[in-house]
Amino acid sequence: MPASTVHVGFGLLLAAGLLGKYYDRTALLVVVAALLLPEADALAGWVMAGAHRTLFHNYVFTAVLAAALWWDTRRETSWLRGRFGTYGVRVAWVAVFAHTFAHLALDWAHLDGINALWPLHDEFFRLEGELYVSSEAGLVQTFVDLEDVGFGGGASRAETHVATPADPTPDSDPGPVDRRVPIAVGGWQLYLVAVGLFVVVAKRFQSEPPRAGSRRERY
Amino acid sequence: MAPTLVNVAVGVLLGVALLGIAFDRRSIAIVGLAAALPDLDAALALLVPGATNAAFHSLFLAAIVGSVLYWDTERRETSWLRGRYGLYGVRVAWVAVASFVVAGIVFDLFTSVGVALLYPLVDRYYVVSGRLVLSSQEGVVQTYFDLGEGWLALETTGRTSTHRIDTWVTPTDDERRLRLVESGWQLVVVLTAIAAVPAKYALEGGEP
Repeated sequence: MPASTVHVGFGLLLAAGLLGKYYDRTALLVVVAALLLPEADALAGWVMAGAHRTLFHNYVFTAVLAAALWWDTRRETSWLRGRFGTYGVRVAWVAVFAHTFAHLALDWAHLDGINALWPLHDEFFRLEGELYVSSEAGLVQTFVDLEDVGFGGGASRAETHVATPADPTPDSDPGPVDRRVPIAVGGWQLYLVAVGLFVVVAKRFQSEPPRAGSRRERY
Repeated sequence: MAPTLVNVAVGVLLGVALLGIAFDRRSIAIVGLAAALPDLDAALALLVPGATNAAFHSLFLAAIVGSVLYWDTERRETSWLRGRYGLYGVRVAWVAVASFVVAGIVFDLFTSVGVALLYPLVDRYYVVSGRLVLSSQEGVVQTYFDLGEGWLALETTGRTSTHRIDTWVTPTDDERRLRLVESGWQLVVVLTAIAAVPAKYALEGGEP
């Protein structure tokens, strides 16, 4: 994983805007929890090879979550709306969005990537490449190999182990191991952590003007 | 410089996060473009060699803009900006300055080949790179900042006269490259920004 701190930083940046008028501490905590909990599949790695970045790190899980949420909130007697009101509906959607983009997508571009289509298809995918316009070669992109489209190349769950502090190595008897908890690796990860904190602090300094009345009114 | 497209994507995300009641199509465009402004110094490099990542990436320029805005909106009896555009204008202006600094300048400091933050006073490109890791064997590993001399020291990549930065306008070899996205995580940031704006509209749907 890029460190959970990085997911949380990027997630706070997204949540701050998407929560809108429902932005408060409770809502932020729910979103942070939604960003952290999927890492629990690392614990399943003790009994299931390659569980981390497989069980909860796939777009199938996200799609099922989103579909369930959509189905429930479309009903006349929505459980979520009945229990938590429109506040609950908004927070749930923002949590799904943050999970998809601030967690799954970032992991997709990191180390071995994620088992994106599990359980439908067992293969780790990694997003990697660049996109540029060249005076010699025109538009060049190396993210998708258009010559060789299709599955293949990526390793399956049993062959892939993404190290975590809870499960640092797939060896059953590795001897003394180095358990590493990354906070940030590389400038860009530290930046994402910092920008999330920046947004939360900046929002504290903002005063929302009263919604009624014209925009030209003074405070 | 980091690809301008990614600067703009971060700027858009900041806009979605901070514009609040002033969020609309026009304000998000302004805030996104503010993140692209620092990269215009690459064009200036045609006239002033070494201006890339220096002239408009200087914190002094950002401080001047911020001070003028602060003076107009907070210190004056009758603010020109508030009189002309109301609270909407004040909010958009502050978020645009934040986007200019955080998404335009600081982003490059953390991700590119170096930014001359204190140009023209200090002719040095700086970069923040390294790692912060808690290790059960080595304890806290921190390599972003050099704390050895008793003060914060950043890694430097050279001077404006010697450190050439490859851009479309000032290529370092025969091939000109306009970089749009340099890596996987940058593509994720761009895709997230593209998704966040319609998501904001969908979630706010109809509500004021």
